Formats: sequence, C-alpha cells, structure tokens
Amino acid sequence: MRSIMMQRFRWFPVMAVLLLLGASPALAAIQGVTGTTFNLTAKADHISTPDGGSIHMWGYALNNGRMQYPGPTLILNQGDTISITLTNNLPPGAGNVSILAPGQSGGTATGGVQGLITREAPPGGSVTYNFVAAEPGTYAYYSGTRPELQVEMGLIGTIIVRPAGFNEASNKTAYGHPETRYDDEFLFLLSEMDPNIHELVEAGLMNMVDNTKYFPVYWFINGRAAPDTMLDANVSFLPTQPYNCLPMTRPGGRLLMRIVNASRDLHPYHTHGNHHKVIAFDGRLLESAPGAGPDLAVADFTTSVPPGGTADGVFQWYAKAGWDIYGTDNGHDCVDGNGDDLDDSTYEYCPDHGKPFPVDLPHKNDTTFGAFWGGGPFLGTAEPLPPGEGGFNPNGAYFFMWHSHSEKELTNFDIFPGGMLTMMFVEPPSPPLINP
Amino acid sequence: MRKRIFQIILVILITVFCLAGVSSAAEFWLRAGTFIKTMPDGVQVPMWGFARCTANFASCNPLRVPGPPLIVPPGENTLVIHVRNNLAGPYTEPVSLVIPGQAMPTDGTASSPAPVKVPDENGNLRVRSLVHETAVGSDGVYVWNALKSGTYLYQSGTHQAVQIQMGLYGPLKMDAAPGRAYTGVPFDREVMLFFSEIDPALHTAVVTNNYGPGKAMTSTMYYEPKYFLINGEPYSSATSAIPAGSAGQRVLIRFLNAGLESHVPILDRHYMSVLAEDGNVFEHPKEQYAPLLAAGKTLDAMITPKAQGTYAVYDRMLSLTNAAASPGGMLAHLRIASAPAGAASHGQR
Repeated sequence: MRSIMMQRFRWFPVMAVLLLLGASPALAAIQGVTGTTFNLTAKADHISTPDGGSIHMWGYALNNGRMQYPGPTLILNQGDTISITLTNNLPPGAGNVSILAPGQSGGTATGGVQGLITREAPPGGSVTYNFVAAEPGTYAYYSGTRPELQVEMGLIGTIIVRPAGFNEASNKTAYGHPETRYDDEFLFLLSEMDPNIHELVEAGLMNMVDNTKYFPVYWFINGRAAPDTMLDANVSFLPTQPYNCLPMTRPGGRLLMRIVNASRDLHPYHTHGNHHKVIAFDGRLLESAPGAGPDLAVADFTTSVPPGGTADGVFQWYAKAGWDIYGTDNGHDCVDGNGDDLDDSTYEYCPDHGKPFPVDLPHKNDTTFGAFWGGGPFLGTAEPLPPGEGGFNPNGAYFFMWHSHSEKELTNFDIFPGGMLTMMFVEPPSPPLINP
Repeated sequence: MRKRIFQIILVILITVFCLAGVSSAAEFWLRAGTFIKTMPDGVQVPMWGFARCTANFASCNPLRVPGPPLIVPPGENTLVIHVRNNLAGPYTEPVSLVIPGQAMPTDGTASSPAPVKVPDENGNLRVRSLVHETAVGSDGVYVWNALKSGTYLYQSGTHQAVQIQMGLYGPLKMDAAPGRAYTGVPFDREVMLFFSEIDPALHTAVVTNNYGPGKAMTSTMYYEPKYFLINGEPYSSATSAIPAGSAGQRVLIRFLNAGLESHVPILDRHYMSVLAEDGNVFEHPKEQYAPLLAAGKTLDAMITPKAQGTYAVYDRMLSLTNAAASPGGMLAHLRIASAPAGAASHGQR
C-alpha cells in the first residue's frame, strides 16, 4: 500500500506547481459537463481502491463513454429546461434503471416503463427526464430503481445549478446573493461501499444480497478513497474515477464546499483549520425571507448532511497562530485598515505580527520529515530539504486534514489511513510574500 | 340590599373560579397486550402493542402497532391515560407511559414523577422505569398537566431498550387551534407517516424469556431490523396510496420515528417546509427535500402540492426491503387529488 501511495503521489507536486504558474488566481474548479441536453448510459465496470482492490460497479456514463463513479457532475444554468435521456446498458439480470433528481421540483418522465418511484429504462431501453433548473444550488441525483442496491452499486451523481448572472471570471456566487460569493469551489460527494454486495452482483448472485446485513468498509469522496482523493483529476490509472478532491484556498479566500451525501449513512464531515459557515441545505439558502441572503447560516466545524441531501458551506482561513505566519525577517507589513485585526490583503493576524516562532526547531539532522513538510513553519516557506524528503508541498502551504469524523471511515477495509479523507491546502497569498 | 348584591357577586365569582379550576381533561384508555403480526413474506412476529378502549375498558379494539392515535382537542390542559397491562406470557414485564417533549407524568396523586429502581447483581440500584409502573394484570393511570400542543410519540417508559422495540409506542397530537397545528401554522389536510422497525429475532427472544443477561440474547447490541414500517406496515404489493389532499392545499405531514435507527423521508418531486421538531415550532421553517428523521423524533412539514398525482415517499437511508426481498420496507405513496374547481390555491414557495 505504501509503495502504491508513493507511486501515485509522484504526480502531485507537478500538478501543484502547474497550478501556481497559471496567471489566474483560481486554485481549481469543479469538473463536470455543462449544457441542457444530456445522454447518460448506465453500465457496469470496475473501480480501484487504494489497497489494490478492483470493485465491480454500476454507474452512469456520459453518452456511451466509460462508466464513472460518481456519474458526471451536471453543471446547469438557472432557468434552463433540462432533458436527460438515460439508456440502460447494465448487464443482463440487473433489471431496470432510472434517475431521481430530488432537488428539482416537478418535472416529467417519458418513455420507459413505470416503476415504484419514477419511470425506468428497461434493459436495452431508455427513458427521458425533463425539468426546469428553477433554483440555483447543489443537488444529488441517483437511481430510483431498487435504490438500496443501485445506489450502493454506484448510480449516483451531482447536479450544480449556477445562479442567473453567474460569471466564472467576474461574478462567482453559489446562489446569486453577494453573501454567497466564493473564490474557489470544491465538490465533496460522500459515499461508501460494502464490497460483499458487489462481489455477489458480479458473480450473478444478486438475489443473495441482503440489504439488512449492509456493512460498509470503504468510504469515498468524489468516488475515490484516500489517498487517491489527493491525486490529480483524470489520472490515467483511475479511468472510471475521474474526479479528485483537493481543496485549496489562500488566507482570507472564500472556499465554497458543495457537500453531497450520496450514501445511506451520516458522515459528519469535519474541516480542520477553521469552521465553515453552512449557507444552504438541499439547494435552499438558510435565509429568513426570500432575498435576505444566508442570514440564518450557522458556523460549524462538522456538518452531517442527511443521505440524498446536500449542504453548501463557505470556509475562510486566517491564522491566530501565536507567531507571525509570514516570518519575522522579510520586512513585510501588517496593515489593518478595517479594524478586524487582520491584514487587509494577506489576512495576517496583526496582533501576532513580528512574533517569533515560539520554539527552536531541531536541526535537520535530528528531524524526521513528513512528505507534506515544506521546510519551515511559515506560510510560503519552502526551504531546502535533504534529498528525497518532502516534495508534496512545493509552495510552503499549510495543510489541514478534512475528513469524516466517524473515525472508522478513515480506513480502507480496516487499514488506516484512507477512506473519507483529504488534505486542504492553504496556499500562500498570490504573489507569495516569501520565495516569490 | 347592599349585602345581598355582595353575596350574589361572591357566588358568581366562586362559580367562575370553580369552573376554571375544573378545566376539562382529555382521557384515554389503552390496553397493552401481546399479539402476532404477520409480515408480507408470511413471517409471524410476536409483538407487544396498545389497543384503544372505551371508558373504563368496557370494550377494546384489537391490539396494533403503532398504537392508536391519541388526538387531544385544542386547548386541553390535562391529559389522563389509563393503562391496563394485559401482556401475556411466558415472559411479561410491567409497563408505563411517557411522552418525550411533555413533562413526566404522575399517577395523579403524587406531587412528582416516581422512577422505579431495582437492584442489579451487585446490589446497586438501577432505573428500570422512568415513571411509576403498571404491573401485569393491573391498571395504572398517567396524568400530564400543562400540555403543549404539537406532534409527539407516546411510548413505554419502562425497560425502554426492549419495550419500545416490541411495539409499545404510538402517536399523539394536539393542535394549537382547530385547523392550526401551531400558532401561525394553518393547514387544510394532514397526513401522518409513522416510521418504525422490527427485528424478529429480538422479539422471539423476549417473549420466550431468552433475552437478558446470561440468556441467549444478552442485549440489543446486535439489533438488526428486518422489517421497516410506515404506519405499521412495510411496503408490499398490497400497499395502497395514502390520500393526502389535493393540489393547492396546505398539506401537513406529521413524521414520527419510533425506530431505533434514523431515517430520511424523501417525498419524490417535492420540497418540504420543515416547520417543527419534537413539538417545537421553528421561528423560520427549513426548505428541505431530505430531512433527517432521527430515532425517537417527530417532524412536522408542510407541502403545497402543485399538481395531482401519486408521489412516492421513501427512506433515503435505503431501508427498502422486507428482510432480503425487494421491494419493501419504508416505501409508501401519497395520492394528491386534482384541485377542486374554484378552489383557492395557497401556492408554493
């Protein structure tokens, strides 16, 4: 496992450097497909787990491409009329399949056959769902056919509706209201897996699956278990798991968390480093009156989203570290014009300005290094390290683990660390104060 | 003359005060007993349940799970529930009643609730019952004062790890005023969706005296429900849709969960305005499609359906089988009729 992890991680510093070389300050974007008409195909394939496992899955493919876990993130514009046609290419014996988009009120389904919840695509057939993306927000979609089996098998995905007036370059908001603006957005689609079910289905023993004995041992963010969550998106060796989860921000930046619970359990998702403000559940702002903005938002360190539901959170990082996070010997200033104790551009905590690091760091010869250690305790520090050490943190970012606080979910089939876990980077301001 | 007028006024005052002091009380008679419930797959599960009886237990309806709905008229201050413990052997227990969200009941004479403690094997006293018990073969009375309006579970307050799971639970509601669930919360129609679960292995162990320390099943540690019920029945092909008003009406859905697990009721193609939990109304309702219905909890939610139709409501925690058989479990359908001609629509946010 360790060798696999190291092998996969070798791509990561390349990616991080490339990101910083770009002229745009955006740190990442949510991957997905845009449009108003979508063709999805349900089909079977396999995904990889970080412990070397290969798991049989059912999932949604874009057009007739390869199945992916989770299905394509559909990025829509508010007010558009949406048409999704689903074709059922699941293996023989799998039965019908369908799509529920629970945040989209109303809507119609045509074609296919009537199921217990919605119309379904029979084997080899198709069904079309139409709805108006009336309200901005974050939503789930998933199969409404035998959901206790098909959701588990991987038929899940995310719908994001951009608000009217949204502009990726000049007007990035989650819900149109200025209090929902953000600098960078990241998807956290949470799911889990009981591999016994997948083995039975792959062996053609679907009727032996007992839903009441469900016992998950893998946990995923955006279809990957840690440490694969931190790999680049679209790495060639995870062809059915294209999405990663590598949240990044800068001091004072507004990081929009779009949390989707596509699983059947609660996963208390925890942000180290600071709280996040939950501004919406299920694509509806926490507001006292229409147009009021998220005036009922709550500050949480941990958010549990009910299964099938979603939450949006705005995370902002600034330090009250007890020392000057930008170092004491480079002559930077701390200018607090608005009286919030923070520098107006670097978000340094001015009462700590000029305070030395409170401990003497041991000499490098007396230190064991972690892969994320950039070489110094200051944001933007990237000091020389012995050959072979460090390497995952080329810009001297601060790192925080963001994870499910059901601690057993930080494993891959009983092996720690793994599961529903990733690292959040606080990159230095752009341009960096140190080592520009 | 002046003295006579004074006497008349005094009599009137005394009469008024007496009437106020004897404010009316809602009074119910519940019989606890043992019965067999047949699941859609033919499995027969021994249950403990409640039956509604007429005054003084003159006659009783059949036992059922969940127990009969207790509807307290708006404005009542006092609730009196008489319990007759008819649990049948080989294994029985004393029972009682509590209503989470209301004050603890008394027996009507004691000044405060009376928990029942029994010694364990080390001689330490442990609470077995939150309130006074009613022994097998006898009658007890439970009295609540200062009732709060809202949607509540009633359930046994004795050996709750076992007795609630065995089926000693039911719904209770009191509206703030006719047609108003809470102050400022008017509705046109209401639907109750009562969630609970059954682990047949636990039931069999309990009724055959194989449950408890040193016995075959030592605790609820390995609770593994096989049946997932809405309004007392798991989904089967025999399930029929629940009438839930018509398009444009304000339909109040009362969600209750007497199970030991949480559930997430999603009503297909609808948002719900979740307006109260545990009988406490929110200052601001929450617009959600996937509300968390935690174990032991009640939620009140309002929908204003736009269009007629039959809409599925299902547990997104995916308790959707009867044992291993699919479909089943916590799946039901609400049937919304078309709007009556000329009816005023209340619209929808």
